[in-house]
Amino acid sequence: MSWKGFGALCVAALAAPFGALAAGTLTVAQQQDPGSWDPIDTYLVNWSMVANNVFEGLVQRTEKLEIKPALATSWEMIDNDSKIRFKLRQGVKFHNGEPFNAAAVKFTFERLLGAEGAKGPQQSNYNAIDKVDVIDDYTVDLVLKRPDPVLVTKLAGYGGMIVPPKYIQEKGDAVFNTEPVGTGPFKMVEYKPKVGVTLAANPDYWGGAPKLDKVVHRFIAEPTTQVAELQAGTVDIIYPVPISMIATIEKAPNIAVVSVPGPSVVDMMFNVKNGVTKDVRVRKAIIMAVDREAIVKQILQGQAAVTASFQGPLSFGYDPALKPLPFDPAAARNLLKEAGVKPGTEVQFDIRGADAVFREVAQAVAGYLSGVGLKVSLKPYETNTMVNDIIPNGRTGEAYQMAWGGWTFDFDNTAYLMYHTGEHWNPYVSDPKLDQMLEAQRATYDSAKRLELLRGVAKYVADNALDMPMYALNTIFGVNKRVKNFAPPADTRYRFTEVTVE
Amino acid sequence: MAGFLIKRCAQAVFVVLAVTLLVAWAVRLSGDPAIMMTQGAGSFTAQDLENIRKALGLDRPFSVQYLEFLKDLVTFQLGNSFFGGMPVARLIGEALPSTLLLASVSLLVSLAISVPLGVYAAVHRRSLADQVIRVVSLVGLSLPNFWLAIMLVLVFAVTLGWLPASGNQGPTSIVLPALTMGVILTATNLRLVRTAMLETLTAQYVMVARSKGLSERVVLYKHALRNCAIPIITYVGLQFGNLIGGIVVIEQVFGWPGMGSLAFDAVAARDYPVLQGTVTVLALVIVIVNLLVDLVYGLVDPRIRAE
Repeated sequence: MSWKGFGALCVAALAAPFGALAAGTLTVAQQQDPGSWDPIDTYLVNWSMVANNVFEGLVQRTEKLEIKPALATSWEMIDNDSKIRFKLRQGVKFHNGEPFNAAAVKFTFERLLGAEGAKGPQQSNYNAIDKVDVIDDYTVDLVLKRPDPVLVTKLAGYGGMIVPPKYIQEKGDAVFNTEPVGTGPFKMVEYKPKVGVTLAANPDYWGGAPKLDKVVHRFIAEPTTQVAELQAGTVDIIYPVPISMIATIEKAPNIAVVSVPGPSVVDMMFNVKNGVTKDVRVRKAIIMAVDREAIVKQILQGQAAVTASFQGPLSFGYDPALKPLPFDPAAARNLLKEAGVKPGTEVQFDIRGADAVFREVAQAVAGYLSGVGLKVSLKPYETNTMVNDIIPNGRTGEAYQMAWGGWTFDFDNTAYLMYHTGEHWNPYVSDPKLDQMLEAQRATYDSAKRLELLRGVAKYVADNALDMPMYALNTIFGVNKRVKNFAPPADTRYRFTEVTVE
Repeated sequence: MAGFLIKRCAQAVFVVLAVTLLVAWAVRLSGDPAIMMTQGAGSFTAQDLENIRKALGLDRPFSVQYLEFLKDLVTFQLGNSFFGGMPVARLIGEALPSTLLLASVSLLVSLAISVPLGVYAAVHRRSLADQVIRVVSLVGLSLPNFWLAIMLVLVFAVTLGWLPASGNQGPTSIVLPALTMGVILTATNLRLVRTAMLETLTAQYVMVARSKGLSERVVLYKHALRNCAIPIITYVGLQFGNLIGGIVVIEQVFGWPGMGSLAFDAVAARDYPVLQGTVTVLALVIVIVNLLVDLVYGLVDPRIRAE
């Protein structure tokens, strides 16, 4: 066949793709098998991509990041904010028929906070909880040992998912790992390790039976292979879509790229303790010398948002009024001159070698900085070395790449770890004023006050140019157009209750 | 023969032991599973990491961990995955047959292409066909296997929709990965068969066979090819290690649920028990294949049997 013929064939095939997917079955590709479906064993997003349809917490979070009642119908802070009282939903049954009640809530949290939970990464997120008091069959109190304003959000996911006591006690943990039972809209009917998972609709779901019959999750590690499956019409939803593949997907008529602002933010942290970046003028000069809008547009194909602080637009604590420093090379040169930094001065930026996209971004940054007379040497590290050794031990160059952001979308998540004195990944910043703000926002349940405090933190950090926020990345899905009512979740925690397929 | 076998078995045990030590040591340099488990966890402290390491038994000295691994190995209990606690023996039990199947089919595909073509090229030395075969095999040799994989997927799965792009969803699923691997192997095997055949064809017994008036087919496939078998089998045996190495990549690209995908995921997650288990079992497989190759020599060459 000639190449021209081959090309024509490609076009024809894309116009009328092969696809034999059954109506009522949605097929989803994800990269990793989390290995266990027990909520206390994991923190991988790949776990929640499946498990968010199987399990439920006392509360749930919508795609718009609003907290809604789930297994609890209402809740309130009582006794001077030392307890949260939950009224539980009645008549709910686990997939095995076991009733959901206060005993299940107590069992869940005792398991999470006890010896079993200590083996996994979940416990520390919930250790503000001292104990669970059962008031009656459908009322429980979470007794707190310290304030945690993000706790209710955390109850919507991961370790806060309610598990069936009788089932776990009878079958044991090993069985629960592979044959999980929850209260969610779908039940797991088959799990083949490293291959995939099949979920079936739970017709008795308290919120109404889902519209799909089945959801099949397939584990496909290679993003390129995922894209091929999407093009072939054999998979309906893929994640993640590499930026380099966006154009390929957009060219095909039957599939589309769907992207929403995500939780991950990429940032260059400055070494504020040593070197020329000790001087705030130099740090500001570096920020002003780099055209981040252009980087996002050219390299990231617009799939990110330039941000003024180390958080994305969906984060609690984000301040739309806070603007990043403008791109102004002339002003940058003046600031450097003022600070006595001679043209040709060398600075070292540490980056994660495995991150191909950021390597390109870093090269662009180095190019911009050479425009104002700074000579940047990029030093690539293996991610683990960087995270476990170079950063905690303060052995970085003048700036270093940091990527952060958790599914809670709360700036506390990032800000406390990055800027509070003595935190593991903060080798340089130590500022009593900043510490005080960070501690104060953790001690109050008043959202308005917290928002103000967190915005204050962001502004203080920006004013002192402690870091150069680069951009907040989008969460990018590839979706077959036969999928209807798919609300793309920013945190990739799918919820397929309303989804239909043609 | 018995003495030879005992010696080879002792060597094999030593090789596998060395591999276990190397992999157990190297995997611990690669990074910290506690960090991998808490990726994206938001707030966690150095104490949390310490708790996880303790629960996984990583706070104990290396020698203790290694001896425990050896103990698990001899009892065929390869420990449990750090992620989810699934028994490693079960994971390998499901993955190994897939990998062996893919490896054997790839090898068969390759032999089915390379033996007839190699013989043909040798017999018709310097003909146009010979030149074409040699150039094509050179091109095949320089193809990166993942690239070939992606191209095949693009044509047969995406464009034509004849075959599944990935996974193992029935007999058709093996076609593309086995074809990719087979083509890659063919490139070298073809040249090997051709060279071995050329050498053999100049031997006196071939001349004798021809002068006896035997048909060309009998001369080539009965007399000449059998005498080429030793270098070919040796090479295929040696190649098995490369084949397994290549399969790791191919499995990853095709999402084939075998040892390669298992090892790949385990590296990404720093899942020490799974990685130790897969590498050790693969080393064992390679050692066994090489032992078998030694035995097969005896079958094809009576002179070795007699020794």
